[in-house]
Amino acid sequence: MYSSVCSGAVNGMASYIASVEVDVSRGLPGFDMVGKLSNEVKEAKERIKVALKNCGIDIPPVKITVNISPADISKSGVGFDLPIAMGILTSLGQIPKENIEDILIIGELGLMGDVKPVSGVLPIVIKAKEEGKRGCILPVGNIKEASYVKGIDVIPVTDMCEAVSILQNRELLRTMVCEMSDYVSDDKYSEDIPDYSDVVGQESCIRAATVAAAGFHHMLITGPPGAGKTMIAKRIRSIMQPLDEAESLEVSTIYSISGMLNEERPYITVRPFIQPHHTATRVTLAGGGMYPRPGAMSLAHKGVLFLDEFPEFSRECIEVLREPLEEKKIQLSRGKATYTYPADFMLVAAANPCPCGHYPDRNQCNCSDGMIARYRSRISGPVKDRIDIIVSASRIDADRMIGSKRNENKRNISSEILREDVRRALNKQQTRYSGTNIRYNSEIPSGHIDEYCALMGEEKEYMKDVYDAMELTARSYHKILKVARTIADLDDDDEIRIKHLAEAVSYRGGL
Amino acid sequence: MNSKITSQLIKREINYITRDDEEYPRRLRDINSAPKQLYYIGNLPDQNMLSVAIVGARNCSGYGRQMAREFAREIAQAGIQVISGMADGIDGIAQMSALSVGGKSYAVLGGGVDICYPTGNMRLYERLMDEGGLISEFPVGSPTLGRNFAIRNRIISALSDAVLVIEAREKSGTLITVTYALEQGKDVYALPGRVTDSLSLGCNKLIADGAIPLIRPYDFVRDFLDNMGNKERTDNYKAPTTNPGNDNIHEFMTSKQRAIVSVLDYNPKSVSEILYDLSDKTDIEIPELLENLTHMTIRHMIDCVDGNNYCIHAENDGASR
Repeated sequence: MYSSVCSGAVNGMASYIASVEVDVSRGLPGFDMVGKLSNEVKEAKERIKVALKNCGIDIPPVKITVNISPADISKSGVGFDLPIAMGILTSLGQIPKENIEDILIIGELGLMGDVKPVSGVLPIVIKAKEEGKRGCILPVGNIKEASYVKGIDVIPVTDMCEAVSILQNRELLRTMVCEMSDYVSDDKYSEDIPDYSDVVGQESCIRAATVAAAGFHHMLITGPPGAGKTMIAKRIRSIMQPLDEAESLEVSTIYSISGMLNEERPYITVRPFIQPHHTATRVTLAGGGMYPRPGAMSLAHKGVLFLDEFPEFSRECIEVLREPLEEKKIQLSRGKATYTYPADFMLVAAANPCPCGHYPDRNQCNCSDGMIARYRSRISGPVKDRIDIIVSASRIDADRMIGSKRNENKRNISSEILREDVRRALNKQQTRYSGTNIRYNSEIPSGHIDEYCALMGEEKEYMKDVYDAMELTARSYHKILKVARTIADLDDDDEIRIKHLAEAVSYRGGL
Repeated sequence: MNSKITSQLIKREINYITRDDEEYPRRLRDINSAPKQLYYIGNLPDQNMLSVAIVGARNCSGYGRQMAREFAREIAQAGIQVISGMADGIDGIAQMSALSVGGKSYAVLGGGVDICYPTGNMRLYERLMDEGGLISEFPVGSPTLGRNFAIRNRIISALSDAVLVIEAREKSGTLITVTYALEQGKDVYALPGRVTDSLSLGCNKLIADGAIPLIRPYDFVRDFLDNMGNKERTDNYKAPTTNPGNDNIHEFMTSKQRAIVSVLDYNPKSVSEILYDLSDKTDIEIPELLENLTHMTIRHMIDCVDGNNYCIHAENDGASR
């Protein structure tokens, strides 16, 4: 007898609804599975057989054929265990066919019949809702995550027997629909984001970080080891606005696919901060593998990608940043398909100014000019070009670190105040760019710079002086204008003024 | 000499001279280990003109860079030839500065005269061909080897009437030149620096050991001319009309800008350091400070080094940093 169960899986960033077809016929007993399956899907066979036995369900000696369609998409993941098992039972007549119609089933099985959470549930449930499915049967561990999708019934199960009894009884099916409020806890998952008030000195870096956060500009911090580059970078999130609902859903989808959502963190509401180590490979950053998975750049979507010791990253890793910095997504081509992952992150890179880290302090640095130039050339021009703000952190002397009379009455700046400034600047940008697909000043295309970053007479004259005195290029000139626009927004000024330009010029950097 | 080699030398305008030739530098002939032959492009130092060597660290500080510049200019303007090794840092800066005021300068190289080492000083190398000379005892085409530098240093000191050390660490190759100079009976001058600066330690120690401290470019030239027994030139040598630095530029500055200049020196400081140093002088916030730093940079009141560090403005005469 034939039956079909609806399930789903993820292919790249796209989720799709798969139908699990099971046919049970007389003949030599056997269990065959087809449909372009990866190893972990094929192994379902053994898990299902043992799980059914341990749940006290006898399978007669029949020939079982399973096909997962569409058969031309590579299937991976372990979410097909439960739908296959349910399909077998339906084919054997133990579950009424009409009960299973239009119900999406996902879940991994343990040998004792327990249903375990799987990755990628969020985008699959979204897809099920779009396709008008009646409801979903999901592992209880995935419920919190799925419950963020409104408008579809979700039924949690802890083991296979529970799933079977729900599907056997239509009444039960109706009553078991979970009340979301049971699962969505009021206190949203929150992370402890450190605050700028912990930072001693480095006012120029904090200011630069504020400008960067306000316009979503990429940023590079240089400075000697121990100056606090990492401290500055780690606190940038504390002045950024929280994710809005749409962004949250987008980011959570990426995390769901990567299997990084769990009961403690069922949904991403805080901007991500991803800090890959400098020994990372290209795949770690960009994503990939035989069945591509999102890399660090995608996990940092809508948040901060922090690359500490930037020049120490391999050439390959630095170059792979180019496309996402420009396109805000990364495309991975595999033999049979091309996968596109979103990668709209704010790059915060930190670098030493020279191999020993102390240049231009010649008391400590004895690196030759050649060594310094070679070290810096590891960050290639095209990548440097996409970094709008370059700032240097300096070593803090003891006097200052431990506190002296001079700064007793000076309090460190707290993130809360800066966040408010950033919020105001973002609001201005929102108003200015409404009706366009620009969201931040950093995204102004070069063709529209004159429109959004118009200069008045005096300012134009000033920029002519700067252009000559600093030997700017067209590209660096545009960068300065975009950053100046953000500074003006922070200043709540509709016009870009000389002081905004002058400050923007100081972030041009010498690297 | 092999005619083939001779024709090659002529083609590349390389001159060749032996110890037996009349034009062989007199000052060099006097030393024990005078080289048998010299290859040179351009000219050899004028026998009848005074010359001094300006040497120092390759990886010098902003202070050393500026002092090399100021001393080399004063010396060149006084009609004294500048001898050095065309190395990165002090050597190259001093030579470039001497040329920039129309002086003459000669480089003694550690490899063949046809090889520009370090390549970063290509511009200087080319200018020295026309406005001075490139000299080497090593045959044409010889690679520039580390050990050659110590050997050629004896020629630098021998061709000079005095040796100026601008910056040197405690263990520095520059001190080899000083040793030769003393053996050859030349005066050694050293630029004093702060006790805490490692690049000044070598110089300060030289002063402790009896080297003459360099006080101001003008004082040096006077003292040097006097030591050379040139009474007339010494008496005619006038003090400079303006002080080194850019004092006249101050009148165009606002009080805040004056405060900013007052906390800067020749060694670059980061913005946060400047802000801290300003905290007891004037009340200024970061955006305003950054704004002023840019204003002052484009008006050449101060210099922006490495993007985010600032120092007192120094005239740039094209020498590699």
